Amino acid sequence: MKIQTLKRTTLDRECPSDLRRASRNLDPTYHPLQRAREYTRAVTSAKLERMFAHPLIGNLGNGHRDSVTCSSLSRRSLLPLVSGSADGTVAIWDLTSRTQVAEIPAHTRVVTGVVFAVNGETFYSCSDDGFIHQWTLHANSEQQKHNSIATWRIPGSFKSIDHHWMDISFATASDSAVQLWTPERSTPVQTYSELWGSDDTVTTVRFHPVEHHLLAGCSADRGIGLFDTRSGVALQKTILRMRSNDLQWNPMEPMNFVVANEDYNAYTFDMRKLDQPTRIYKGHTSAVMSAAWSPTGREFATGSYDRTIRIFSLQEGAARDIYHTKRMQRVMTVQYTLDHKFIISGSDESNLRLWKARASEKLGQLTTREEAAQQYRSSLVKKYQHLPEIKRIHKARKLPKVIKKQTAQTMIMKESADRKQANRVKYDRKGEHSFVGERKKVVVKKVD
Amino acid sequence: MTKRTSKHSDGFSKKDDSSKGEPAPKSREKEFDPDGSMKISRGLSNKEALLQQKQLLAKSQEKNEDAIQRQLWGVAKETAQERRETLRKDDENPNLAKLNEKQKLALQNRGRKRVATALVRHETKRLQAAVAAVDAAEILQTEQAGLLEAENEMERTSGLSQVALKRQLQHVDPHAASNIYDLSLSQSAPYGLEYDRSGRYSILYGKSVGHLAMMDCQSKSLVTEFTVHERVRDACFLQNFTLFAAAQKNHVFIYDHTGAEVHRLSDHNDPMALQFLPYHWLLATIGRAGWLKYQDTSTGQLVSQHRTRLGACSVLRQNPANAVLHAGHSNGTVTLWSPASSQFLAKILCHKGAAIHSLAVDRTGRTMVTGGADKQVRVWDLRMYKELHSYFTVGGIPTSLDISQRGILGIGHGCHATFWGREALREKVKDPYMHHLMGGKRPVETLRFRPFEDVCGIGQADGISNIVIPGSGEPSVDTAEYNTNPMQDAKQRQEEEVRALLDKLRPEMIALDPDQVGGIEESDPHKRLERLHDLQEAANAKAVPQKKQKTKKRGRSKIQTQLRRKHRNILDQNTIKLRELREKEKLENANDREGNVAHKPKESAPAALRRFF
Repeated sequence: MKIQTLKRTTLDRECPSDLRRASRNLDPTYHPLQRAREYTRAVTSAKLERMFAHPLIGNLGNGHRDSVTCSSLSRRSLLPLVSGSADGTVAIWDLTSRTQVAEIPAHTRVVTGVVFAVNGETFYSCSDDGFIHQWTLHANSEQQKHNSIATWRIPGSFKSIDHHWMDISFATASDSAVQLWTPERSTPVQTYSELWGSDDTVTTVRFHPVEHHLLAGCSADRGIGLFDTRSGVALQKTILRMRSNDLQWNPMEPMNFVVANEDYNAYTFDMRKLDQPTRIYKGHTSAVMSAAWSPTGREFATGSYDRTIRIFSLQEGAARDIYHTKRMQRVMTVQYTLDHKFIISGSDESNLRLWKARASEKLGQLTTREEAAQQYRSSLVKKYQHLPEIKRIHKARKLPKVIKKQTAQTMIMKESADRKQANRVKYDRKGEHSFVGERKKVVVKKVD
Repeated sequence: MTKRTSKHSDGFSKKDDSSKGEPAPKSREKEFDPDGSMKISRGLSNKEALLQQKQLLAKSQEKNEDAIQRQLWGVAKETAQERRETLRKDDENPNLAKLNEKQKLALQNRGRKRVATALVRHETKRLQAAVAAVDAAEILQTEQAGLLEAENEMERTSGLSQVALKRQLQHVDPHAASNIYDLSLSQSAPYGLEYDRSGRYSILYGKSVGHLAMMDCQSKSLVTEFTVHERVRDACFLQNFTLFAAAQKNHVFIYDHTGAEVHRLSDHNDPMALQFLPYHWLLATIGRAGWLKYQDTSTGQLVSQHRTRLGACSVLRQNPANAVLHAGHSNGTVTLWSPASSQFLAKILCHKGAAIHSLAVDRTGRTMVTGGADKQVRVWDLRMYKELHSYFTVGGIPTSLDISQRGILGIGHGCHATFWGREALREKVKDPYMHHLMGGKRPVETLRFRPFEDVCGIGQADGISNIVIPGSGEPSVDTAEYNTNPMQDAKQRQEEEVRALLDKLRPEMIALDPDQVGGIEESDPHKRLERLHDLQEAANAKAVPQKKQKTKKRGRSKIQTQLRRKHRNILDQNTIKLRELREKEKLENANDREGNVAHKPKESAPAALRRFF
């Protein structure tokens, strides 16, 4: 008779310093209730994610003395940040220590724009008082710190400033025209007025990061437009329902840009097709003041008059996350750092705040096991995110009462408008009314 | 990071290309391996995915198809497949009548093709994973299971006694031989025993005086021993060997491994049987009053209590695949319970007119075995609730049943223990695998297989017998599965306890289909509602007692009718003949109606031979 029995050594480890033996048996019958266990783990992961969600890292120093109006991060280095305030001061910040490096009484009126030069060593500030100043980041003496390297002035006021992505020139938008400057000359190299057949004030100008001669701008006549600095010819212009406050080019897909609009929404546009936005990003309950792309180009942050910062992923029309604090007032400017880990916001109550871009992310170096556990947890949540229990936990955000109410109200308004339109289509005489897509409604007029 | 950027640039270039109207770059196709190897099918075209799926299927048929199917569908393969199919059927024929315009439009616009494509990819991926898992299992499982085989037709494995086995093993495998021993304990006889999930520890409980002892089966040493001086009817381990519960005369008590009493569960009166559900951390008891009670051992809360209404019950086992409890009753029925429903999930009449004495459910949750007072051991298919076959036990009522990890069925009856091979659950087998006879009049009280070892422990009237059943234990241990590692040390045990607690399942998750949890209902909601409604109606229809039809006849007192009625049930030659003729006529008529002439006897045939046509 053939006899064989199971042999198992009684000794697992020969000495205590040995690693414990691990063996696997992949037969599913030895792992009963796997689905239920995985689901339970997913629920726990979703809860953990929410438990660890503390996005605010802190304020930068003691902030400004008046409302923060604009800010800029270097395009080269992770560290420096400059910001401008409504009282005319410009401040330089050190992000690692979250302290103020210098505060410069730069202007006599509101600072409307700050921007770093390509080299990252100097930066420009422009203001309502009609001055542009160039400053150095690394001033040796106190005197040097408070004195600008160069100054330009025009009669009137500046609304926006942006620097060229490759060379030393920069562009400004003033209440009379869009000007192109170089540091060597005291007068603008080029002045573009009446670009689109009207001399409406351009409020924002942004250089295209790849097509270096292309400028995009928002104007006071609710328009967003493109023009070429070489020929000085306007390319396209689109009039939206309401005014746009900010425009930013997508750093990874530079044919796309995002527009922060007064009508509570943000829009992404394809510059080749300005007749409708590629997507509408909804959720803010007041005017969107500023937008900033993550360097990956997959998501962007917006700051709004409703005192919240929202982070939108490119694929979804609703915000991935909403940041707010009790003390933060209307958010005038947001920045996304180059390592796509932090968001900086400047708000009306004169403070700059540093936020984590992913609320529940642990900062600092992770061990391999920690990283693996986190990845497993997030993939579990992703797998079960559509199930009601996990969806509820995963999507839940504690919002201020006002915003909650306003959101509910907006929903009601939208539903009622939709219903009205549906009734019109249904009962009015034929051909008079038809359904219009949401995105089609955004653009009022296209000017070529 | 590099990976991410490359992905984006890829997306960018693709978009750019499409705008120019040029075909997309076909660099992806190079990645596709025509052998259908284990690469993840992301980025494959639908056609390629389909091709790969076909190749994988072909490959799986060459290999261990059963294992691959099990990996694909889990334990409840048929239920999972069936559920999927119903959902798809519902989806194919949506009920449009109840939908409004908007819903109809949404249904039409749903990207059917895209869904189909995604499904193909998903299935391919699953298939790949299953094949990979089976391949990995071949490499990972280095240990071999035990076996006992007859070398010629004259030999029978059941003829091998434990004495002979011990003699043979002593030279080959002294460790295994040392597992054959008897413990004679007479102080609190009869004795029962239970193993923990890892098979390393066992509790022995003397039923009459309440002698409780915990043994380390590996070193064969005593961990703790004490006497409670009252009747102990059942005992079981909780999450690991540090805690165990005992069903004593009036209440359930929980002790730790030092023998200290930790809790007295006074809610559980007159307990007769205990079960611990390890993934839900629930201790279930059933007792003399027939109340089934679930207690959460991590929070201490009494989760639910159900009245079985079937009297005292001492047979309670869990289905390891779905954590449903099976209770065997004295009227021959088995009821299935979950804490979420106060009514049983199913009720099966297993032994007509004979009480159920023992019950076991196999690891896959497909087969249940019941032993009744009618000396029958019946094997049930739990998917259909149908009896497959039965075995008759000679020498006593089957008082204890157990199915080993690898599917060997052990039956304790009288002073015998009979073991049936792995195939005995699937089909009726003639000869048992092994047989063990306890000397003298020592009826078997409890028979339990030791997990992860080829050992079976038998508790009987004067102690414990430990015997070796080759091929009963699973050779490969999964150290990642909670509390199943026999080599576990204190540190690992503590860690696993915390992990198991984090993964604790909610009591309401217990259902007949374990894969329902966390699934999504993807079918048409209206269809689903209709189906539920139909089910409900069908269930209710049974519950409502049907009105008895009036059998009372008018004018029953007539002498003629009375006489006729009297003669109705008398069968004599004439009536039988008449009935047969009538039946024949009926059949012929039916055949004629169907135009089936073949069965009609030929006119030409002699009358006596007509019946052969």
